[in-house]
Amino acid sequence: MSFEPKILGIACNWCTYTGADLAGTTRLQYPQNIRVVRVMCSSRINPSFIFRAFQLGADGVLIGGCHPGDCHYNTGNLYARRRLAVTKKILEFSGMEPGRFRVEWISASEGNRFAEVVREFTEQIRDLGPQTKFKISQ
Amino acid sequence: MLKKTTIDKLPELAACLMEKGTLVAPVKEAGGFNFRAITDAAQVDLIFHNTILSPKTVFFPQTEDFVRYSVYQPILEAKPVEPEIRPTFLFGVRPCDVKSFEIMDIHFTRTGVPDPYWRKRRDATIIFGFAFDTSEEADPAEFYHTLGIGAADPDGSDVFMLRRDDVLFLKAVSPRGENLLGGLAGLTDAAPDERKYFDDYIAQGHDYKTRYTCVDAEAIAKEFEAIFHNTDFWTKVSNACLSCGICTFVCPTCYCFDICDETQFGQGVRRRVWDACMFTDFTLEASGHNPRTQVYQRLRQKICHKYSFHIRKYGPISCVGCGRCTRYCPVNIDIFSIVEQAVQAKWYKRM
Amino acid sequence: MAISFEQIEQHLKTEALKLLESGKVILVLAYGRGYDANHPMPYVAKHPSDVDNIVFNEYCTANLARYLTRYPRRTKIAIAVKAADSRAVVQLIQEDKVCREDLVVLGIPVYGMKNFKTGEVIDSKTTGGLYNPVLYDILLGEEVHGQPVSSPYDVLAAYEAMDKEERWAFWQRELGRCIRCYACRKACPMCYCDPCFIDQNKPKWGEKSPESPGNLMYHLTRFHHLAGRCIDCGECSRACPVDIPLYLFHKKVAKDCEEMFGQAAGMSIGDKPVLVNFRVDDSDKILE
Repeated sequence: MSFEPKILGIACNWCTYTGADLAGTTRLQYPQNIRVVRVMCSSRINPSFIFRAFQLGADGVLIGGCHPGDCHYNTGNLYARRRLAVTKKILEFSGMEPGRFRVEWISASEGNRFAEVVREFTEQIRDLGPQTKFKISQ
Repeated sequence: MLKKTTIDKLPELAACLMEKGTLVAPVKEAGGFNFRAITDAAQVDLIFHNTILSPKTVFFPQTEDFVRYSVYQPILEAKPVEPEIRPTFLFGVRPCDVKSFEIMDIHFTRTGVPDPYWRKRRDATIIFGFAFDTSEEADPAEFYHTLGIGAADPDGSDVFMLRRDDVLFLKAVSPRGENLLGGLAGLTDAAPDERKYFDDYIAQGHDYKTRYTCVDAEAIAKEFEAIFHNTDFWTKVSNACLSCGICTFVCPTCYCFDICDETQFGQGVRRRVWDACMFTDFTLEASGHNPRTQVYQRLRQKICHKYSFHIRKYGPISCVGCGRCTRYCPVNIDIFSIVEQAVQAKWYKRM
Repeated sequence: MAISFEQIEQHLKTEALKLLESGKVILVLAYGRGYDANHPMPYVAKHPSDVDNIVFNEYCTANLARYLTRYPRRTKIAIAVKAADSRAVVQLIQEDKVCREDLVVLGIPVYGMKNFKTGEVIDSKTTGGLYNPVLYDILLGEEVHGQPVSSPYDVLAAYEAMDKEERWAFWQRELGRCIRCYACRKACPMCYCDPCFIDQNKPKWGEKSPESPGNLMYHLTRFHHLAGRCIDCGECSRACPVDIPLYLFHKKVAKDCEEMFGQAAGMSIGDKPVLVNFRVDDSDKILE
């Protein structure tokens, strides 16, 4: 059986999630490998969510937020940017493939971009293969 | 029966024991020695002072699975986990640690409901005690002499070992040990002068001086009862305490545990995991009330349990003076000094 | 110039005595004698007569800033700090855990401190490349100059050179040995959360049993929580009974934070910790 990646998407309510909705309403095709979780702001994302997702078997984690400067709460994504940059470094130094974690700024009007990013990211994870390092063996 | 072998033949002895069952012996790891099941006979190495974790890990591992269950099935479908018990040879246990098994037996088999896991493992294990090298200076942290344990006490071991340069003497102490030693190839009988050396060594072990203070179980229990409410004293001795779990985890006579349910992907296991009375949430109740929120209360509990409550309830002091808690404490809190101070606390006017 | 530990001890006693007698502080956090001379322990002097028990020698590595958060606010405290410890004090002030006004900082310029468990000199590993405290009210002795100063991140080179598989194997091996005694978080001056995330049951972030998944969760999250806050005192690694080199990971994260955000932890009271701060012109490159 070919490998179908499981991807966790965490999207901010105001931009990326709405962007994903737009992709849906405009009937854009994108791989169904992504499972999107909505949070109110990208700065609500606790780094433990990401570690835990990998432990529970996610092959990739994609995080979406508003473009810097467009945050619904003014500065949320500016904090998130710093925090998630550190998360990425920590994953990298622990030995995880850096390509499995990605942060994208996608606005509510960028349905196209959402579909494109998901397509791209899914392909990237497909190339990397199943994530076995963090995953808790069953 | 006193047998001997040479140190270079140790792997042969180890291989012999590995055929009969699991051999557990100190293995050098990154941080120091620890008791581990031996996979390669050449791993056995008797050049160690003592292990980081005490040999209680063999009978009372840090995690022990009890029940496996599935969240999709009724609770009656849950299956108890039968421990895999094989004949085990616990090799190279220091006399003070051997003594600790006797104290732990009280809790696991002699009071309340006997713990089948502990008992089965204990019954399946033959203990090879190993004398301290009395020609070396004692480790500054140790104080087993205070608790009346010699550096070469064979009590409690099935086989007792002693090293003299390149020769390793093995003496059967219990009938089980005798049976085992009789059937081991590769051991030779010791000469009469060697028997004398062995007996002398054991006798001298009692004169081997570690830190010492006169401790009488009854008297010390009373002292601690008297100062239980002396908050000044306890605050003072616990000022440096970080309330981490090192001292209890490395202790050969600490037996507290927590029962956790760990469920992953619908499959779960109910397991016993070591817990430590030094942790803040150790006494946290479901209501949210915590009777021991302060560091001094927790340290007081730990020390009074070992040197007071335990004596009142079960008789012996629950400490064997192995010195692990002192040696591994990140801030050098020393239980021996606290006991010493407690004895003098009556004259301890101002904090 | 060799460090005279006797002299520092003498200075420390004099200043502690002055402070306690004048009533400026009600307690002095310093070092006292442990079970032998090579094993000093943190000591709290509350009365002028306690001052005699204060010692200072090359084994006094403990970071006393750990104890600051234990006392209620407005407790007037004098604290003896070495270079890295002073950064912890600064960081705690930045995080508003202690007030600058409540503290009298007794700075100790020193090098050649030794780990009391192994006897090894800790300078090159975990002093943040500093010998002089960054913040003090009273300096005990003279500033150290002319000592070779190595970059705090030099020890990382060998680990950064590993490829990701080697690194993964390395951390699996090291973190796999963890026995979850939590000495690292208890010895850490910046770990003051109550309760710690790993002790929470709802939600349960990680397993309590000392097996790889729970250990990985605990340590990675702890590294993350200390990002931009770790002041490189190395207490976590020295406290560890099984010698896990936690300081390497902390250093790596500190190095990345310094590169990305241009600020090291605990250097100035006026700074804000990097992760509770931002710049509008932070580059998106840091996410790549």
